[in-house]
Amino acid sequence: MRNLYLFFRQHYFYFLFLLLETLSLVLFFNYNEFQGSSLYNVSNAVSGVVNSMYSGISEYFTLRKTNRVLIEEMAKLHSRIPEAFYVTDQNIFYKKDTIVNLEYKYISAKVISNSTNKRNNFLMINKGSIHGLMNHMGVIIGNKIVGQVVSVSPHFSWIMSLLNKDSRISGKFKKNNQLVNVEWNGGSYRKGQVREIPKHVVMVVGDTIITSGNSDIFPEGLLIGTISGYTNAQDENFNNGEILFSTDFNSLGYVEVVVDMMRKEKDELRATFKSQ
Amino acid sequence: MTSRTVFFNVVRFFFLIPIQVLILNHINFSGYISPYYYIYFILLLPFDTPKWMLLVSAFLLGWSVDVFTNTIGLNAAACVLMAFFRPFVIRAISSGPESLMGDTPSLKNQGLKWFLYYSVILVVIHHVALFYLEIFRLSEFFATFVRVLLSSAFTLVLVLISEYMLYPRGK
Repeated sequence: MRNLYLFFRQHYFYFLFLLLETLSLVLFFNYNEFQGSSLYNVSNAVSGVVNSMYSGISEYFTLRKTNRVLIEEMAKLHSRIPEAFYVTDQNIFYKKDTIVNLEYKYISAKVISNSTNKRNNFLMINKGSIHGLMNHMGVIIGNKIVGQVVSVSPHFSWIMSLLNKDSRISGKFKKNNQLVNVEWNGGSYRKGQVREIPKHVVMVVGDTIITSGNSDIFPEGLLIGTISGYTNAQDENFNNGEILFSTDFNSLGYVEVVVDMMRKEKDELRATFKSQ
Repeated sequence: MTSRTVFFNVVRFFFLIPIQVLILNHINFSGYISPYYYIYFILLLPFDTPKWMLLVSAFLLGWSVDVFTNTIGLNAAACVLMAFFRPFVIRAISSGPESLMGDTPSLKNQGLKWFLYYSVILVVIHHVALFYLEIFRLSEFFATFVRVLLSSAFTLVLVLISEYMLYPRGK
């Protein structure tokens, strides 16, 4: 027993190293479950406050661009109000409320921390569970995609950016609806990879890729980017391409969170199918 | 260790974290260079720091940076690994007792050659662990390798600039 004690005392440096290193690695690989614990919420609250201070200062530097985006958006909305239309037909059609149900609701949020230089990038926004945000909701800017919600605290949320190794977006060619997957391999934040393009699809540089709406995260038809290059693989069944993202991830100011109002119904349908 | 050294190291700890989190984490050159200057704290710990203190302070340092980048455990693991290798590196590159003048490793006390060996080895250990853990995929081995080299070089430049700023006369 005494020898054992002496052994531990003599080599405590190695044991302490193993203990701390294992602890770090376990936390790193399991931190998705870890996010539920109270310790994570505390650290999220601290970093949330610091990050809002940072963005409070840095948002002044992007005011010019924010203004331009807002003006463009306003012009778009102005062109949609009834007064902007010239009525060519005097017939009036009534729409019954029960025919149209609201499927997607949008919540605007401010980005208070963002990165594009890591292999796995995240954003933090200033809306959280008290505003109705939940995991797996999509995040967009205008009609372009940004990422999805992966963790929510009462006032803040973490968004997994498209620039992340775990991010995989189901997209399709605008011209012929062929399904593809969009990923990001690191490197430049402007360019990503398009995977699993069937061989018979003829691509040209400049083809538009939009969201497919298959994933329940994004509505159909949002812009992902345009094809900027491709390879014709010889032995595989699929071709790969390079995509130029429409979103400028380095200058995100205000984003919108997509709330799918029929999410519950879709999930329930899927659950009943699985249980049978 | 005098209480003065302890005080300076504690101040440095709380000074480097905001620098890393608020400034350096926002630096991005072409997606390849992201400096991790906060490990300067581990490089500058005094020679007679108790070994358990070395590991525990490295863990706390990495953890604090992790909290702000939502990468719980990533920086902590890299820092603990770097702190673990520190005593071995010091032993390996020091030829005799005269090379360990002064309390802390520095350009002024040990000279440029010793300090370069010391910081290059430890910074590269930290960056290799950090970048490969973050990706955890062998398919991007070479792209990650380039990121490690470029980012290590950038971190080292920052470390050397601060050494020259603190001790302008050199030796």
